[in-house]
Amino acid sequence: MTAKRIIACLDVKDGKVVKGVRFLDLKLKGDPAELASRYEDEGADEIVFLDISATIEGRKTLLEKVKETASVLSIPLTVGGGVRSVNDVSNLLSNGAEKVSLNTVAVDNPSVVAMASKEFGAQAVVVAIDAKRTGSGWRVFVRSGTMDTGLDAIEWAKKVEQLGAGEILLTSIDRDGTRDGYDLELTRAVVKHTRIPVIASGGAGKPEHFVSVFNAAGADAALAAGIFHDQVVRIRELKNYLKEAGIEVRP
Amino acid sequence: MRALVLNYGVGNLFSITSGLRRAGFSAEISNEPRDADLIVLPGVGAFSAVGEFMLKWKDTLEDLRNSGVKFLGVCLGMQIMFEEGNEGGKTRGLGWFPGVVDQIRGAPKLPHIGWDILRQRSSCMLTEGLEGRYAYFVHSYMAYTRFPPAMTSNYGVEFPALICSNDAVGTQFHPEKSGETGKVFFQNLVRWLRS
Repeated sequence: MTAKRIIACLDVKDGKVVKGVRFLDLKLKGDPAELASRYEDEGADEIVFLDISATIEGRKTLLEKVKETASVLSIPLTVGGGVRSVNDVSNLLSNGAEKVSLNTVAVDNPSVVAMASKEFGAQAVVVAIDAKRTGSGWRVFVRSGTMDTGLDAIEWAKKVEQLGAGEILLTSIDRDGTRDGYDLELTRAVVKHTRIPVIASGGAGKPEHFVSVFNAAGADAALAAGIFHDQVVRIRELKNYLKEAGIEVRP
Repeated sequence: MRALVLNYGVGNLFSITSGLRRAGFSAEISNEPRDADLIVLPGVGAFSAVGEFMLKWKDTLEDLRNSGVKFLGVCLGMQIMFEEGNEGGKTRGLGWFPGVVDQIRGAPKLPHIGWDILRQRSSCMLTEGLEGRYAYFVHSYMAYTRFPPAMTSNYGVEFPALICSNDAVGTQFHPEKSGETGKVFFQNLVRWLRS
């Protein structure tokens, strides 16, 4: 059966990889193409490239950097951040992205998800859900985690599947950058209520966290950024660890 | 080696073109089929989206094939080598392999996204060194065929992953996105073209 995927995430601002804690306090980590290529060599199954620049200049840099990153990779590349229209999706796909991740726009204008899915196929459309725990459930936040949409994360996950998303990139804002482990309850709930692959994100700190998110929460893929950039966890060693734990991974 | 990647308006042409270049091809993207060492039918998108293109160029593709041009179909590009597809309405394919392309029945989740193992079922030049390796798949449809595939993979159901005839090869996986497995496949492809 399909191997569990380990995904390395690059948060890119003005052409450079950065990483923060709970979406804030960004620190510089390096060049996207160089890091992506290193992660491929170490055994990453996929690269996610999230553009967090907001400027027009940043957008131009983005396409150039996506192209540069895609041309050194022979594993899949997902690109997201600041996508506003079907045309943006098309531009990213023709510059080397396999999949495009939609976040704020999916909430503002759900028809973009449906149109992109119809035009490029569900497999090209990832919807990113940034969720924060509120009382008994989780709420969806947009605009880099700054705006509460009032939407329930589980209901929203079901909705994006209906709209035609091929995959969900589920980030726990509470756990992002903390290295305290993935939000297992959140991941389990979304996995249970959807029939498309779910990528868990936010909180990876050590190999045990990956085991739990696969075994206890049923995630199809696990994403991490900071621990790979800082070499707290090396992907090769992580995969060996997972294999030892009886989880199918690509060697 | 000259590879011509056909642009029928669907999918990511950048990745397959980069993959071919990494393998030593001079790769060009074209809206029209014409002479080359290899014509590549690229992947991703709905079968029906290619219908119009096929209608227009089917005969040209046949002629090129008869004149000795070899073909590689990737994902959707492999699927359109079959007789018919049911994605987005019934659409005729090239009919180079017998069978129908339909949604994967019995799959745990769709789309099937991720890495699965290749298993050899019969032998051809393209399969060398690939048995037991992981390849990257992204699809919801598969070929239902009586034609014996060279390799299969399994996603709740066994499905054709690599098919080959003397002058046409199709992969359901994406060699350009399959890391080392892809590199081995492209080496095999170059050898096949030279043979």
